Amino acid sequence: MKVLTSDRLDQFFAALAETWEVRVPILLPDGTRVIGSADDGPRTLHGGAVLSKPTAAFFPQHATIFSAVEGTLQEPQAPERPLLVFGFTSRDLACLCFIDRFFADGLCDDIYFRQRQGAVVAALSGYCGTGGTLLLPAGGNCDLELFWDGDCWLLIAYSEAGKEIITDLPDSVPQKTLELFGQASEQLPDENEKLIKRASELLRSDRVPDSFWAEIGDRCIACTGCNLACPTCTCFGVQDWRSARQIERSRMWDSCMLDGFMRESSGHNPLGSEALRTRRRIHHKLAADFKKWGEISCFLCGRCDAVCPTGIGIVAIAGELVARFG
Amino acid sequence: MKRTLTVCPYCGTGCRFYLVSDKGRLVGVEPSVTHPVSRGGLCVKGWNAFGFVHHPDRLTTPLVRHDGTLQPASWDEALSLVIERLRSVQERHGTDSVMFASSAKATNEENYLLMKLARAVFGTNNIDHCARLCHSSTVTGLAETFGSGAMTNSISCFDQTDVIFVIGSNTTEQHPLIGSRILNAVRNGTRLVVADNRRIRLARQAVLHLRHKNGSDVALLKGIMHVIIAEGLADLDFIAARTENYAALAESLTDWTPERAAAATGVAAREIVSAARLYAGAERAMIVYSMGITQHSHGVDNVRCIAALAMLTGNVGRPGTGVNPLRGQNNVQGGCDMGALPDVYSGYQKVSDAQLRDKFTRSWGVTALPSTPGLPLTRAMDAASAGKLRGMFIMGENPMLSDPDQGHVRSVLQHLELLVVQDIFLTETAALADIVLPAACYAEKEGTFTNTERCVQRLRKAVEPPGEARADWEIICDMAERAGYQGMRYSGPAEIMDEIAILTPLYGGIAYDRLEPHGLQWPCPDRSHPGTPILHVERFTRGLGHFSPVTHRLSAELPDDLYPFVLTTGRTYFHWHTGCMTRRTHLLDREEPRSFIEVHPDDAARLGVRNRDELLVSSRRGKVRTEARVTAMVIPGVVFMPFHFAEGAANALTNNVLDPESSIPEFKVCAVSVEKLP
Repeated sequence: MKVLTSDRLDQFFAALAETWEVRVPILLPDGTRVIGSADDGPRTLHGGAVLSKPTAAFFPQHATIFSAVEGTLQEPQAPERPLLVFGFTSRDLACLCFIDRFFADGLCDDIYFRQRQGAVVAALSGYCGTGGTLLLPAGGNCDLELFWDGDCWLLIAYSEAGKEIITDLPDSVPQKTLELFGQASEQLPDENEKLIKRASELLRSDRVPDSFWAEIGDRCIACTGCNLACPTCTCFGVQDWRSARQIERSRMWDSCMLDGFMRESSGHNPLGSEALRTRRRIHHKLAADFKKWGEISCFLCGRCDAVCPTGIGIVAIAGELVARFG
Repeated sequence: MKRTLTVCPYCGTGCRFYLVSDKGRLVGVEPSVTHPVSRGGLCVKGWNAFGFVHHPDRLTTPLVRHDGTLQPASWDEALSLVIERLRSVQERHGTDSVMFASSAKATNEENYLLMKLARAVFGTNNIDHCARLCHSSTVTGLAETFGSGAMTNSISCFDQTDVIFVIGSNTTEQHPLIGSRILNAVRNGTRLVVADNRRIRLARQAVLHLRHKNGSDVALLKGIMHVIIAEGLADLDFIAARTENYAALAESLTDWTPERAAAATGVAAREIVSAARLYAGAERAMIVYSMGITQHSHGVDNVRCIAALAMLTGNVGRPGTGVNPLRGQNNVQGGCDMGALPDVYSGYQKVSDAQLRDKFTRSWGVTALPSTPGLPLTRAMDAASAGKLRGMFIMGENPMLSDPDQGHVRSVLQHLELLVVQDIFLTETAALADIVLPAACYAEKEGTFTNTERCVQRLRKAVEPPGEARADWEIICDMAERAGYQGMRYSGPAEIMDEIAILTPLYGGIAYDRLEPHGLQWPCPDRSHPGTPILHVERFTRGLGHFSPVTHRLSAELPDDLYPFVLTTGRTYFHWHTGCMTRRTHLLDREEPRSFIEVHPDDAARLGVRNRDELLVSSRRGKVRTEARVTAMVIPGVVFMPFHFAEGAANALTNNVLDPESSIPEFKVCAVSVEKLP
C-alpha cells in the first residue's frame, strides 16, 4: 500500500493538476470549508465533511441544459479535463452511489453524466474529522481513499484510475497506520444509524400520526435548505430565459418543501400543507426509497440537520419520532 | 469555480453567503458557516439570491426617450442629458424643484454619494429613500424617546431572553433567520407573546396571541402599561435612575383600564392583563416590531408606546432585552445612517445645525449648503401635483408599485418635466422615465450594507455587470464630474468609506480593513473601538430616556357601508417588495405567481366566494382584480393583500394619508369593498 506524508502533499496535488481538474476541501476567508478549486483557498483535508454537498460537483445548483442562439442548438460541453474530487466521506460516497443509480435509471440523465463520466472520486477517512475524530473508512465506493492515521495518509486505490494516480508514491506503510485502519474498519454502526432505521420501521408500519407532522410543519420556515444540502436530493426545476436572439433552458435545485413543487396547474395540490410536505420529505427518504431501492436514502451525512435554522433536520425528527412512538 | 463572500441583498437580517461563479456566471449560493446570524443556514430567498442576476431582462445600456419611446444611448449622451436637464429644471423653477430618491438596496457608499450629489452639487436637501415608507416612524419615535432610532440590541440576544413580545412583525416570513431564532428560543423555554391579527406562524408557537383590531396598537399598549403600573410591575428603580417624564405617562394611562382597552382593540381584557404580566414579569424581555407598528397615520405614537413599555419595565440596555425594530431592506439602516434623508447628513447630523453644515461645507469644498430640510418622499407626489417639484432622479426604487395610491403616483410621474431612473431592470417606474441608466446589481460591485442590528458588512463583486451597466457609485461620481464638481474622485468604495468615517462620528471607526470577517456594529467612533452590540447600556443616547404620552387616534379611513372591509397590506415570504428581482427568480415566482387577497371563510361564505375565485377589490382610489385565498389567517372583516404584483397592485387601493411627524403612509389600514367577478 502507498503512503503520503504531509510534506509531500503540495507536490502530490500540483502533479495531479496537470491531468485533472482537481477539487479539494478548501478553507474560505471566514472559516467556512467547501470543496473547491485549490486556487480559491488553502487546502484543508482535516475537519470532516464540508457543509455544502460534494455531489454538487456533478449536479450543481444551477446548470444550463441547452441554448438556442438564432435557431442553432448548443449544449454545454463536458469539462476539458476530467474532474478529480477529493473530500467525500464514506457517508457521502453512499449518497453518490445512490444518485449515480438514480440518474442512470431509465432515461439516463446526460447532464449529470457529462460531469460524472470519467471523473475520479477520492474519499477522506481516518482521524481527520472535526477535532481529530474518526471518519469511517470508505472501503470502496470510490476510486481512491486517503486514510489519516495522525501522522500520514494511507492511500488505497479501488480503481485503475485511482491506482494510476498513486503509482509513483512510495509503498512503505507504517505498522501503526495499518493497525488503525483495521480498527477503524471494524467500528460498529453508531446511534444515529440505529435511530434512522427505527424511524424507518415506524414509518413503514404507519405508526406516526398526522398530528406529529403538523407539529413539525409548524416549525418549518420553508427555507428549503434541507433539500438543497442533501446529497441524495435530486429534484430540479426547469426555466427558460428568452431574449430577442436566444433561448436558454437551465435547471436548478428544487425542493419538495415548497408548495409549488407539486401544485397542479388547476391549483389543486396533493401536498398542499406544511404537514404533508414535511411528512413526504421524511417518508420519501425512510420509507418510499426503501421500498423502491431496498435501502434508506438518508446516509446520515448530517447536512440537513446542520443547515436547518429551526432544528428539524432528519436526525432531529427521527429522534423525536422514535422517542414518542417507539 | 470562484466563491465570493458577500451579503444577502434581500432583508435587513444581513445573512452572509458565498456566491459561486463559474466562467463569469453565477451558479449557486453557499451559506457562511461562521457568520453569527446565518450559521450555515439561509432562507429560500437567500438560497436563490443568484437567480435573477443574469436574467435577459437586465438593463445593459442607457436609454433615452425619443419620440415617446426609450431608445439605446451612449453613457456620454445619457449623462450629459441628465445634468443638462436637471440644471435646466432648476434654473427655471428653482433649486428645490428637483428631488433625488436614493435606495435602501444600494450600498452605504452609494447612499452617501447620492446624498452628497443632491446637497453639494445640486444644492437641495430634497433627498430621501424608501425608509420613509417603512421605519420613518421608528427613526422619529425612538430618536425622541431614546436618542437613537435603531434596533437597540443584537440578533444574538434572542438566545438570551425570557419573553419575546412580537407586535406587527411576521418575522418568520420577513426576517426568516431571526424568526427561526425566535422559534428556537421558544423550544428552549422562552415565552412568546404575539400581537397581530393575522395568524402568522409565530402565533402558532405563542403562549398568547392577541388579535387586536388594525390600527388599535396604541390602545392595546396603553392597556398593557396600565396593568403594569396598577399591579406594581413597573421597574421604579430604572424609571427613577434612567428616565424622565414618567408622571405624565402614568397620568395618561390612568383611565386606560383593561376593559377600556378591550373595547378599543377587540381583545379580551383578561388577555391584556396576561400580556402585561408575561412581559413585565420577565427578568429579560424583548420587543420585536416592524411595519405593523410603523405604517399608520399614528405610527410615531405606536413607537412612543413601545419605547415607553420597555422603559417602564427596565427592559433596555441589557442582553436579552430592548426595543427591536426589524429593518426591512438589506440596507435601509445604512440608507438612513448615510443621510439619504431630507433633514440630516450622514450619522443623523442635522442640516439645520450651522456648525454641522459648516463642517460638511468645508469638507466637500463647496461655498454653501442648503439649511432647510427637504421634501420627504411621500410628500413629493403632492408637491409635484402642486407644481413645486418638476424633476426627479430615482435610484433603485419603484414607487409605481411601492407607494400608496398608484393612480396618483402614475399621473404625477407622467407629468414631471424630467424623470431619470437608475435601476437594474426596466421597472414599472423606469418605463415612465425620460432617461434610464443601467446599474450593476449587488453581485457586481463592492461596498457595504448595514443590517438591522447596525452591523456594517462587506459586499463583494462576484461577476461583471451585463453590457454597459455600471455600479451606482461610479455613475454618481461621473454625474458629479460632468456637473463640474471635482470632489467625487475616488479609487473605489473603500476610499468613500474613509470619507464617511471622517465626517460621521457613528461610523468613525469603520474601515474596510476592519470589517473582516463579519463586520462591526455602530456606534463605532474610532479605529480602536470594537463596535456596540447593545445600545443605551449605561445611559440613553439622549441622556435620560423620555416617556412621551400619546392619545389614541383612529385610523384615517375606516370601513363603512360602501367599503365594508379593512384592507391591510404587506409582503409574502417568497417575494421582495415590487418583485423586480424575485419575480425573475424561477422558484420564487413559481411559489407566488400572482396577486391574491386573503379573505376569512365567514366573509367568503357571505360573499359566495370560493378559493381562487377572481375578485374585484375597490377603494376610493382605485380598483384591482385579484384572486381569492380563503383562509383563517385573517379575522372576519379584514382582508390582506401583498403589494408585489404589478397586475393586481395592492397600492392602487391604499391611502396616501401620512403620519404628521414621520410622513409614513397608512399602508396598514384603508377601506375596501370586495366582490366576486362573474
